[in-house]
Amino acid sequence: MSDVTVLARQLQDKQASVRAQAAERLGRCGDAACVAVELVRACGDEEEVVREWAVAALEELGPPPASSLEPLCSLAAAAQELVAYWAVTLLGRAGPEAFAAAPALVSVLETSPHPAVRQRAAWALGRIRDQSAATIAALERVKSSGDPRLARLAAESLDNDRTASDFHSRTHACG
Amino acid sequence: MRLMERQGREARMTRRRSTSTRRKGARSVVLSRVIWIVWTVVTGSSIAGWIIPGMPLVGPLIQQVLGNKTVNEILSDERVNKVIDLAPDEAWQGKLGFLKKKLREHQAAVHATSGAGYQVPTVPGAQVPTYPGATSAARVAKSAQTIRIASYNIEVFGTTKMGKPWVVETLAQVVRHFDIVAIQEIRTQDDQLMPTFLAVVNADGSRYDYVIGPRVGRTISTEQYAFVYDTQRIEVDRSSVASMSDPADMLHREPLVARFRTRSSGAGLPFSFWLVNIHTDPDEVASEVDVLAGVFQVMQAARADEDDVILLGDLNANEHQLGLLGQLPGITWVVSGITTNTRKTKTYDNILFNRFATSEFTGRWGVVDVQSVFRLTMDQALEVSDHFPVWAEFHVYESAPMQHTAQLPGYFFQ
Repeated sequence: MSDVTVLARQLQDKQASVRAQAAERLGRCGDAACVAVELVRACGDEEEVVREWAVAALEELGPPPASSLEPLCSLAAAAQELVAYWAVTLLGRAGPEAFAAAPALVSVLETSPHPAVRQRAAWALGRIRDQSAATIAALERVKSSGDPRLARLAAESLDNDRTASDFHSRTHACG
Repeated sequence: MRLMERQGREARMTRRRSTSTRRKGARSVVLSRVIWIVWTVVTGSSIAGWIIPGMPLVGPLIQQVLGNKTVNEILSDERVNKVIDLAPDEAWQGKLGFLKKKLREHQAAVHATSGAGYQVPTVPGAQVPTYPGATSAARVAKSAQTIRIASYNIEVFGTTKMGKPWVVETLAQVVRHFDIVAIQEIRTQDDQLMPTFLAVVNADGSRYDYVIGPRVGRTISTEQYAFVYDTQRIEVDRSSVASMSDPADMLHREPLVARFRTRSSGAGLPFSFWLVNIHTDPDEVASEVDVLAGVFQVMQAARADEDDVILLGDLNANEHQLGLLGQLPGITWVVSGITTNTRKTKTYDNILFNRFATSEFTGRWGVVDVQSVFRLTMDQALEVSDHFPVWAEFHVYESAPMQHTAQLPGYFFQ
C-alpha cells in the first residue's frame, strides 16, 4: 500500500489531528491524483484545517484518473458546497474524458443551491464539450441568468461546444 | 617582364596573406585574453558580489567602478551581441555565443540563490525554539538607497504553520530581508494569525506592520492577502488600502491594493507606488490574466499624481502565459527563465510594472531558494511553502519617467 493510499485512509480517522496531518501531507506530496475522491470528501470535514489542506492538495491536482469519475459524479450532487464544488471542478479538469458526467453536471447546473457550484458546472460542461441537446438547452437557459458570472461561463461553454461541433463537422467532411 | 611582374604580384599577395594571418592570430590572442578575463570575472565572485552588495569588498568595489548601472544594463543582450559581431569568424562567434549562454545561466543561478545574511533556523530533530523572542538572528542590513519588494505565497498560512515554530521563524527571516512583502494564501478564520506572526518578525527589534484584506473567494474556503512592511523605511496610506471591486465577478480573489511611500531623509522625492496583490484561480488563469490587464490600467488611472503601479503575486502563469496583461504597452516583469515553486518545476509568481513609468527599478530581482538558503530537505522546504518568494529592487527616490516612442517595433514585448 503506497504512502498516498495510507494517508488517504487516515483522512477518515476519528482523530481530527490525524486527519489534519494526513491532509497536509497529501497537500505536500505533489501528485495525489489517485486519491482525488478521498480529498474531495475531506472538503466536507468538520475541521477547518483538514478542509484547507484538502483544498490546497486539490488545487495542485491535474486531471483525475478515469476510475474516479463515477464517484466524483455522485459527489457533485453533495449538499456540502465545498465537496460539490471540487467534484465538479475535477470533472471539468478531466475534459472530454468525463463525457458521461454531462447529465450529472446539467443537474447540478440547474438545481444546486450554491451559486459557486452552479458556475463551476457551467465551466465544466464547456471543458467536457458535450453537445447533447439537454446540455445546450441547459446552458442556453442560464445564459440569461441574473448571475453575471454564470451567464458569462455558460456563453463561453456554448462557444466551446460550437467550436467542438465545427471541428467534428470538418473532420467528418475531410474523412 | 611579364613573368617578373607576376612574381612580384604573387610575392606582394603572399606578404599580405601573411600580415593578415598574423593580424588574425593577434586578434585571436587578444580575444582569448578578453574571454578569459570576462570568464574569470563572471565565474568568480565579482558578479555575485555586485548583485549582493552585502558581500565584503568585491561587491561594493565592483559597484563603485561601474556606478549605479545594473548587471542587466551592463551586460544587456544588445551589448553582448555587439561583442559577438566583432568576432573574426564563425568559430569565434560560436565560442562567444556559448559564453553569453553561460553568463545568462550564471545570472539566473545568482538570482535564484541571492540571500546573503540569512540564518539557518532550528529545524525538527534539533532544539526547537519557542516564540516570540526566539530568534538570535542579527538584524538585516539594508541599503539606504534602495528598497526590496517581495511577493510570497505562503501556502495555507494558518494554524498548522503557526504551530511549527521553526517554520514561523523561517518565514520571519524571509520577511526581514524585504521592505514590503505581499503575502498570498492566508487561510484561517483566526484573526490573531498576523499579529502573532508580526510578533515573531519583530522579535529582533524590527518594526514591521501589516495591512490585510477581507476574506475573498467564492466558496467557504476563503483566502486573505496582506502586505507586511518595514515601518522604519516604508509608510502606507491607510485610506488607500482596498479590495478591488469586481461587480461582474471576473476574478476568483479580488486583488488587494494599497499605496506605499518610502521614508527617506535625503533631498529626493520619496518613491511612492501602488501595489496590487493577486492570486489567480489555477482553473481560470487565461481569463484572469486578461482581466488583470484591465486592473492594471484602472490602477494607473486611479490617481493623477501616481504613475507607479506594481502588480505582484501568484499568477499561476509563467512569462509566456500572461495574456493581455503581458501585452500592455510598456509592461515588463522581473521573473523570467527561472522557476518559483519549491519543487522547481513551474514559474507561478512574478512582479510586473510599466518599465517607462517605474524607472525606479534598479534591474535587480531574485527568487529566494528557501530550501538551499536555510539548508532544508525538500520535505522541510515544502512545510514552509510550496512557493519561493520573488523580489525586485527599486530606488528610494522618485525618478522622472523614461521617454519612449510608442511606434517602435516590439514595443509591447519584453
